[in-house]
Amino acid sequence: MVVVAMGLSLFGVRAFQLQGLDPKAYAAQAEAAGAVTAVLPARRGEIVDRKGGALAESVDGDMLVADPAQTKDHAAQIARILADDIDVDYFDTLTRLEKPKSRFQYLQRRVPSTVATAVVKKLNKAGLAGVYTKPDPLRTYPAKDVAANLVGVQAQGRDDKGKITGGAGLESAFDHLLSGKDGKETYEVGDGNRIPLGDNSTVKPVDGKDLKLTIDRDLQWYVQRVLRNAVESSRSDSGSAVVMDTKTGQVLSLADYPTFDPNDTSTADKSDLGSRALQDVYEPGSVSKVLTLSSLLDEGRLTPETKLVVPPQLDIGDRTIHDWFDHPAIHLTTTGVIARSSNIGTALASRQLSDEDMWQHLRSFGLGTRTEVGMPGETRGLLPDWHGWQPINHATIAFGQGVSVNTLQMASAVNTIANGGTYVSPSLIEGSATTDSGETVGTDHTTSHRVISAKAASQMAQMMEMVPNPETGTAPGAQVNGYRVSGKTGTAQRVGADGKGYDGTFTVSFAGFAPADKPRFTVYVVVQNPRNGGGGGSIGGPAFSKIQTYLLQRYGVAPTGTKSAALPIDW
Amino acid sequence: MSTTSSARAPRRPASRPQPRPQARPQARTPRRPRLAVVPERIARRSRVPFLGLVGLVLVLGVGGLLLFNTWMQQSAFTATRLQDRADDLENRQQSLSMALEKKNDPQELAVRARGLGLVPAVNPAFVRLGDGKVLGEPKAAAAGDAMRINPRPAAKPADLNPRPRVVRVPAPTPALTPAQVKAKAQADAAAKKRQASTVQGRVQQNIQQNGNAG
Repeated sequence: MVVVAMGLSLFGVRAFQLQGLDPKAYAAQAEAAGAVTAVLPARRGEIVDRKGGALAESVDGDMLVADPAQTKDHAAQIARILADDIDVDYFDTLTRLEKPKSRFQYLQRRVPSTVATAVVKKLNKAGLAGVYTKPDPLRTYPAKDVAANLVGVQAQGRDDKGKITGGAGLESAFDHLLSGKDGKETYEVGDGNRIPLGDNSTVKPVDGKDLKLTIDRDLQWYVQRVLRNAVESSRSDSGSAVVMDTKTGQVLSLADYPTFDPNDTSTADKSDLGSRALQDVYEPGSVSKVLTLSSLLDEGRLTPETKLVVPPQLDIGDRTIHDWFDHPAIHLTTTGVIARSSNIGTALASRQLSDEDMWQHLRSFGLGTRTEVGMPGETRGLLPDWHGWQPINHATIAFGQGVSVNTLQMASAVNTIANGGTYVSPSLIEGSATTDSGETVGTDHTTSHRVISAKAASQMAQMMEMVPNPETGTAPGAQVNGYRVSGKTGTAQRVGADGKGYDGTFTVSFAGFAPADKPRFTVYVVVQNPRNGGGGGSIGGPAFSKIQTYLLQRYGVAPTGTKSAALPIDW
Repeated sequence: MSTTSSARAPRRPASRPQPRPQARPQARTPRRPRLAVVPERIARRSRVPFLGLVGLVLVLGVGGLLLFNTWMQQSAFTATRLQDRADDLENRQQSLSMALEKKNDPQELAVRARGLGLVPAVNPAFVRLGDGKVLGEPKAAAAGDAMRINPRPAAKPADLNPRPRVVRVPAPTPALTPAQVKAKAQADAAAKKRQASTVQGRVQQNIQQNGNAG
């Protein structure tokens, strides 16, 4: 009896020791003996274009790692096979394989699984041990530089505060939405096989959501190539181009040059990673004249035939305004002011608008307000408050100097004229999506408001038809064979990097839409600091024409067959 | 029990002064067994079939369990193998779709299209099916409409792109005998030829470099 009691109390003590004192440690020990915990990685959402073509996708990948203790003796053989089969540097790999006193070395990350397993199999077959694979999800950008400035690159990770590091573009702005949530699975294994009735638990991963853009991948490619050719042949610093669907405000293409290949950002310039079209400000110059003059048309202060006498120069205070071409006093109509792009004419005409009215109109055209399409780091531009305007400010803002914009802002402003006087907010994301910072953006949230009357918009569209007209305008290169085209050139002085004033370089641009009498697409091309002496007409115009030609064919927009407007430009 | 009680029974009347008349006949017939109905005796059968049955159930049970377990284990092996295969196939599918995406890349397509001699159409035109009217101005595309689809090569720094080196060859000095002139001319010609070939080589090299830079 006593013996039994003693035995039982011994068991009791042991049970207390196991369960009462440190149950977790023992449970962990037991688990470690046979249990495996695997992370079930959530699939990162794809970024696709409007037709579902992939711009960024995730595939299973592996990293190749080595145990130098095992590889040391056959390092040369292993390195040769690796250098042949996967894209690694022979000498670099050799050094890693021979690393003394190390049991773990990365050889290559983000290798497609098939390639990684094949090369390990090959090594094992050759009797060379010590190289292993570990899962390493792989993000690829199959269209390479196409839309790279928008898509950006996946963040490398998050810092202590949960802020993402090293990412760019939409990949970074929508990181939460795209990444989903990893799951976890614990199960017991014996000899590499799952034990049938062993303990197991699964937390299913929540896959990331896809992000669908309004971008048309093929068009984006074409626009990027046209833009690159324009920038290269004019020896410019950079360029941006926007294609907008006139009615819906959807951005079909938003191109930047220089750009980069997101598959390999190691050689990319940091400043090329974002979208210049949204992050950089510049003074729009003469393209802005269409905004000022259509406000005047809307207010009924002008008609396309209103007669103006344009003096050789205009003194305002201690400043003098010149035109880009020397002339005596000339007799231009309002249409002529647009066609010949006269600063003096615009400044004189704008005197019929009060500071506040002009500011209100420009604001309504979207200047000084972010477009909020979902891209990180967008600038709001700079439209100075009218309370502080001097007469010289009023005059220069009328023709687009002393006011700063981003490319998409300006494209949306010109699109207002194409869209019959109604501003429609641009969008880059199809449907609706929420950024990491909590903004909800997308085509579902498109807003619109009337800026000028339909009549004023149609008058301005006709006036702008005189610009690509070789007999009257400044941009014969912007014509599109068979179509009526409205457009406006812009050549603006650039503010120097020190921000202290104009540095003698220029921003040249061309904005327009086609068909002029039934606009479908607005295209805006901006090139910074050309060094071949070209202007908006000779650099922006031909690029605009190429893009519109491609666009109208691609979307099956036939010429309207009507006769071009023929308005008098002088009197 | 019944036997003991019947054995004791005669003693009790003897100790009493007036024994009961009914007890007497009992006392006179001692040890007579009392009759009572006893349960029917169960026929004793052999235990062997029963033990055999239990044994069989046990063996079948254990055997079955063993088989079941083995089968489960086997299934686990198969599951692992199939899972590996599924992973393999999925990887392959992904690799193939990656390859397809690569072929689908607009730049690749453009390079192949250009290889076939295609250029972008610069004169868009449409046929309206309703009345067969041609909209736009159809014109055949020309080779000159081709667009550059690759970036220009980066300009080389001046160190890698030197100016052509010009080597001036002095004219032969006169006032020599015809024979000397002839001999010298031959020698010079040979020297010039050598030099010319090297100069030409250099110039050509420079042209190539400049061409690349442009």
